[in-house]
Amino acid sequence: MSTTTITKTLFFSAAPSVVWQYLTEKQKLGQWFNEPEADLTEGQEYQCMQDGMPLIWGKVLSMKAPNELVQTFNIKQFEAGESTVTWILREAAGGTQLTLVHKGIEEALAGEAMPLLMALDQGWDEHFASLRKGISS
Amino acid sequence: MVPFGTALKEIKMNNDEAIQVAFRALSDSTRRDIIMMLSEQDMTIGDVVKKFEITRAAVKKHLIILEQGNLISVHQQGRERINRLNPVALKTANDWLNHFSRFWDNKLSKLQQVIEQDTKD
Repeated sequence: MSTTTITKTLFFSAAPSVVWQYLTEKQKLGQWFNEPEADLTEGQEYQCMQDGMPLIWGKVLSMKAPNELVQTFNIKQFEAGESTVTWILREAAGGTQLTLVHKGIEEALAGEAMPLLMALDQGWDEHFASLRKGISS
Repeated sequence: MVPFGTALKEIKMNNDEAIQVAFRALSDSTRRDIIMMLSEQDMTIGDVVKKFEITRAAVKKHLIILEQGNLISVHQQGRERINRLNPVALKTANDWLNHFSRFWDNKLSKLQQVIEQDTKD
């Protein structure tokens, strides 16, 4: 179950095959992200280190070059589970439309407590809505 | 541009301990039930005991853990101690989403710069 998702979309003038290299190759990842210990490989674990400690780690779940990359994404605080990052690359106007989808952050943090947090959030939303209504009337 | 390490360190420093203590307090189903009841109304320890088939001592222990997680606060009212939900602590889950949203904005903006620079050369 994933209740919360971060989605970002960007356009690049470079072709999908070029953008793909920046998402999967060790050295190119190091230019904008944190350098992993090796190029990303389907089915393999990856790890990005900082100050000798693992900062972000996970597993490459699938690679369909140059259109889709799915990887798990973990940090120390994710005690209850894993989040998942999916990269989708589409040819658009001679360049690339890149979409990032990051799912499962709250679940990775909260695990079984998640339905409760959602229920409470909903309660507050209703509370705030009636509060706003009260203020504006 | 916020450097990669700084972005994540910021998340860590602001939320790390508070969120872990809060989520640990929420890891028990009885405590989650107590939270749900407190979301509807403030309750004394006696009110909570009536809803569960566990001892007063056990309920008290759960309430202490919830208080340590900053999920509830206890208010003295005359001779009674009233337990009240603290919604601010639970909002930290949403803060995390906001942090990650900003984190990716920074990273993707850097990616755009790097690719533009490299393909221009």
